[in-house]
Amino acid sequence: MSPKYSPAAPRERRAVLRRAFIDSLPVLMGYTTMGFVAGVLLAAKAGLHHAPVWAFLTSAACVSGTFNFAIVQPVAERVSIWSVALLVLGINFRYAFYGFTMLARWRGVPVLKKLFLIHTLADENYALEAACRYKNPDANLLYCLALSAMNISYWILGTTAGAVAVAVLEGALDPDVIRSRTDGMEFAMVALFLVIFTDQIRELLRHGK
Amino acid sequence: MENEFLYMTAVVAVGWAVTYAMRALPFVLFAGRDRALPPAVERLGNLISPVIIACLVVYSYSGLQWRTAWPYIAGALTVGLHIWKRNPLASIIAGTALYMCLASCGCQTAPEELVYDRAHPLIKFSNLGLQFRGEFVSPNKAVELLEKHRVPKESVIYILVDSDYDYANDRAMWVFQHNYLGKAGYRRTMLVHERRAEVINAQEQLKGSSGGVRGSPTEGLKATQHGTGVRAPEKPKFRYKRADE
Repeated sequence: MSPKYSPAAPRERRAVLRRAFIDSLPVLMGYTTMGFVAGVLLAAKAGLHHAPVWAFLTSAACVSGTFNFAIVQPVAERVSIWSVALLVLGINFRYAFYGFTMLARWRGVPVLKKLFLIHTLADENYALEAACRYKNPDANLLYCLALSAMNISYWILGTTAGAVAVAVLEGALDPDVIRSRTDGMEFAMVALFLVIFTDQIRELLRHGK
Repeated sequence: MENEFLYMTAVVAVGWAVTYAMRALPFVLFAGRDRALPPAVERLGNLISPVIIACLVVYSYSGLQWRTAWPYIAGALTVGLHIWKRNPLASIIAGTALYMCLASCGCQTAPEELVYDRAHPLIKFSNLGLQFRGEFVSPNKAVELLEKHRVPKESVIYILVDSDYDYANDRAMWVFQHNYLGKAGYRRTMLVHERRAEVINAQEQLKGSSGGVRGSPTEGLKATQHGTGVRAPEKPKFRYKRADE
């Protein structure tokens, strides 16, 4: 049977929201920085006319840092849409296993809220939501919703700001200068993969013990 | 412009659809069922994800200067720092900063100096097709590569013509010169007969010098125009057809 969702007391709601905001602060640091780099890369290397718009749309539509980094090179080369689909499938295949953890926790959540939670189930959101200590499903849902909303807004803000910064600088600077100054920044994506890989190996070793 | 709009819309749509499908998969598979994840699936998930990410690491290294040691040093720093401190942001920033320094602060191996004077034409036409530095490419790709290698638009693009290339009847080269090179802004092209290129190469080897003109294409242009550089001393037997004739 599914648990009943009733509006919690305002006081408790405020406590949950405060908790969610405090937990999202490390993500604020990470997402705005990484998002800024992703936006800069998209604007400087992908050869798009309206990079800020696309940075906003890509980060809002697929709340996935790896996606934003990984599409820069394929978009610059204008590879076929099927290759893009295959690439996205490869990099985001891991998300299929995140949902399993959340199955029991999100049982009985209203459809629209559940769709939103699934939409925002990125690495950091997953890590925080899986570690959430609220046993009360009501508080848990509020916590997850608030955390997801805050985290994706940081990410969208970061990417858009990065792309806008490049677009503004492009008027003042030679595009070639921007390109050469951002050379090597594409390592951020490799570093992101390496970090995810290290975490997964660590998890695997921990389970093996 | 419109092309870009359609392409990027498709990219966003595909990215969203695939990512959302992946995230929603477990909720669809186990909808309305009150049982835990089968242990086999859990084990598989734990194993498959690292393998996929490892493949992605290898794939993304191909976009870096993977022939040098720098991406591996930066990668080792990233992994080491993450094992030690477990702070993803710190590891990523440190690794990227180190890579940017190593790759751009003069530590890198000298970039390959592209020679594109008369003795070393970049583009070759034969009956088999169009080659860019020995590789068969499409006309579009050839122009792209020229732009990628920063060959200036004002420099002469020498096109090596195979000795048995039928350029009286084949329009491919003409089309390439006018519809591809010309449209991209490369308006000065010159055909070089294969035998003649061999003569020039042989003369350069005899001279034993570093090969007349390297690097700067304008330098090469001046040299060939004034007849001091790579131009062979004897007069050519016949005049080569100019691109715009």
